[in-house]
Amino acid sequence: MSDTEHMSQKEILKAENDRYYAFVNLALILAAVTGIELVLVYLPFPTTLIFTVLISLSLFKFVGVVAWFMHLIYDKLILTMAFGTGMIIAFGTYTALLFLLGGDMVAPQEIPGR
Amino acid sequence: MSQTESHDDGHHGLMVKNKKLLMWLFLGSDCMFFGTLISTHLIYRKLYPEEFDPTQLFSLELTSFSTFILLMSSFLMALSVSAMHKGEMKSFRRNVVGVIFFGLIFLGCQVYEFAHFIHEGLTLDLGTFGSTFYLMTGTHGVHVAVGVFWLISMLFYSQSGKMEAHKNAIDVEIAGLYWHFVDIVWIVIFTVVYLIEFIV
Repeated sequence: MSDTEHMSQKEILKAENDRYYAFVNLALILAAVTGIELVLVYLPFPTTLIFTVLISLSLFKFVGVVAWFMHLIYDKLILTMAFGTGMIIAFGTYTALLFLLGGDMVAPQEIPGR
Repeated sequence: MSQTESHDDGHHGLMVKNKKLLMWLFLGSDCMFFGTLISTHLIYRKLYPEEFDPTQLFSLELTSFSTFILLMSSFLMALSVSAMHKGEMKSFRRNVVGVIFFGLIFLGCQVYEFAHFIHEGLTLDLGTFGSTFYLMTGTHGVHVAVGVFWLISMLFYSQSGKMEAHKNAIDVEIAGLYWHFVDIVWIVIFTVVYLIEFIV
């Protein structure tokens, strides 16, 4: 439940108005970061550096939307845990698949569907 | 608050609305779903790097525009939820119309992109790249389409006069959570499927 549910109408208005500025700032930052990402891939920097920066920026956007737009920082911890569990399993799936199939030793020579 | 009362007002024992907790649990499970789709695509890209070179086909400008559109739709969705909490129905409708409009633009861009790719030879049966790419981005597109239909139905419901700001704020919040989730999935796809291809 959002913390607005136990507030008076006046308090709700104040809280929502405060959030409005957070939403506007975040939207501007997200738009700018997307522009930076687009430019980054064309810059003549080391691949590892660009890769790290792109993943970091993506993570920043992800956390920004989840925390503010989805109200997770204003909500109960149980909701973060519910979502976080899914995220951990999703990332765990990728890691497990990478270890199981990502090695060159197990890659079949022929391409499926060809 | 007794157990009976807690069920009557739709709250879980942890003081979280049941609907909202269920939505977050659903989103957590959807994370696993998309995690599997994205993982499959990335693993096959690693296994068969020579199979297909998408950099000749991908238009980063178009995809960046789609990403921007989806991010701005998330912003408008956040404003819609906020307007609903404040009881401002007109503002809610205005922002929801914006979200629907941006959602349709995103879908239009995806249809254009798919049509272009198919015309250039990247079909669903073109090995592992074609199948995993279309399955992943297509599933995301279906999620966006479901979100658009959900918001359109919510807009019609609000026009009917039956929607009350206090009573239905949680419903709008849940629809908003779904929409934002679609946005964060695209944030991941944009980086790991599109951008990374141009640097490795």
